[in-house]
Amino acid sequence: MNRIVKFYHEMGSPPSYYRITKHWLKPMLVLAVIFTLYGLIDGLFFAPEDYQQGDSYRIIFVHVPAAWMSMFIYAIVGIAGVMTFIWRMKVAEAVMMASVPIGALFTVITLLTGMLWGKPMWGTYWDWDARMTSELILLFLYIGVMGIYSAYDEDPRKAARLAALVAIIGLVNLPIIRYSVYWWTSIHQGASVSLMGGANGIKDWDMLRPLLVMALGTKFYYIYTMFSRSQYYLLKTEQQKNWVNQVIENEQSGVKS
Amino acid sequence: MKFWALFKRDVLVSWRKKSNIYQPLVFQLLIVTMFPLGLGAGAQTLAKIAPAVVWILALLSTLITLENIFKDDYEDGSLDIYVLSGMNLPLATLSKATAHWLTTGIPVIIFAPVIGVLMHLPSQSYGVLMLSLLLATPIFSLLGTVGSALIMNIKNGGMLLSVLIMPLLAPVLIFGAGAVLETTLGNSAFGHLMLLLGCSVLSLTLSPLAAAAAIKINLE
Repeated sequence: MNRIVKFYHEMGSPPSYYRITKHWLKPMLVLAVIFTLYGLIDGLFFAPEDYQQGDSYRIIFVHVPAAWMSMFIYAIVGIAGVMTFIWRMKVAEAVMMASVPIGALFTVITLLTGMLWGKPMWGTYWDWDARMTSELILLFLYIGVMGIYSAYDEDPRKAARLAALVAIIGLVNLPIIRYSVYWWTSIHQGASVSLMGGANGIKDWDMLRPLLVMALGTKFYYIYTMFSRSQYYLLKTEQQKNWVNQVIENEQSGVKS
Repeated sequence: MKFWALFKRDVLVSWRKKSNIYQPLVFQLLIVTMFPLGLGAGAQTLAKIAPAVVWILALLSTLITLENIFKDDYEDGSLDIYVLSGMNLPLATLSKATAHWLTTGIPVIIFAPVIGVLMHLPSQSYGVLMLSLLLATPIFSLLGTVGSALIMNIKNGGMLLSVLIMPLLAPVLIFGAGAVLETTLGNSAFGHLMLLLGCSVLSLTLSPLAAAAAIKINLE
């Protein structure tokens, strides 16, 4: 069998998924720490000051990567949701339910840092700007997926399928919600304040570099957390299975030796 | 044939449960009283927020009735019979949505001008208000069947239902209340109503499928 096809099939089965991704945790964590530390130090101390916003623009190095992640993770949740729903793949369930709280966390970070940034820049913590509003609605979507999952706690597989359905419904609606919110603000306040000062505003490589490094750092952090959470999810939901006992035995004998 | 029998039954059950009909209206009347009490009874102040208030009240009052769309049928086993008898499940949910709309949506549409008068809504807006609700109340009922099917065997699922449905209804509220707002400013509401119609058609095509999927998962 082709090596890639074989790898794909292996990732679909919980025991081999666990066996393979177990070894990825440490490297991912190391990469996440290195990239995030470098990005933060570079961004907070060495990147040049913004000519308009001074030093307070530096929150961009947390805010924008978090905002990217909040949307990226919802896309992952949606794709994993489709796989859960159609093929009932346990690994897809695990990836989906492992990703949802991380995505919600990034959404909360985005909203909070945005508010802290808004106070010195706009003079207010909250403005019903299109981006802020759609980010808030994204948080509701995340909460909905978590809510339906936790409501069916006696049957995790059914809960995961219902959560997948909710995630898919959210994914279908996300573009509609986004555009309607954009049109709504254009009705109410004319030109709205752009949160990034326009993405094309950043032309200086010294400013862009920490931002991209932080984006990579958050990606690696997500991969690390997602794998460790999904492994835990699989161990918990498959605890009756043989391979879990095998894992536990190996772990215990490993500690002794 | 089977569909019509089911539809007749759904409408009859919905109609005989009179609380479905008057509950939303009483709710609206109670809440609309709160606005002048809290804001001051000045006609100017009230007229300014009237489009939003009328629309949000229509939405919230429908929301409180959604929880029970499938609950009774789930609890007495009728839903199991539907599934076992090989009935077309999306059509069955469509019948439920239509029955809900007939007994809750239509009274809400008819009652909306009353709330409008109480809120001093300008006289040129009533036509568009009722038209926008005519386009939007089916969306409430259709998305309601999805939400209700998701939570039908959860106790006290009302809060969860709101969390699931509210983000999806945000565009409907934007276009609907926006349409009424445009008429109060003397503009044409055509664009908003068209978008609302688009939302209606989209939810008419997709919601029965989603609701049927949720029922199937729930009954497994």
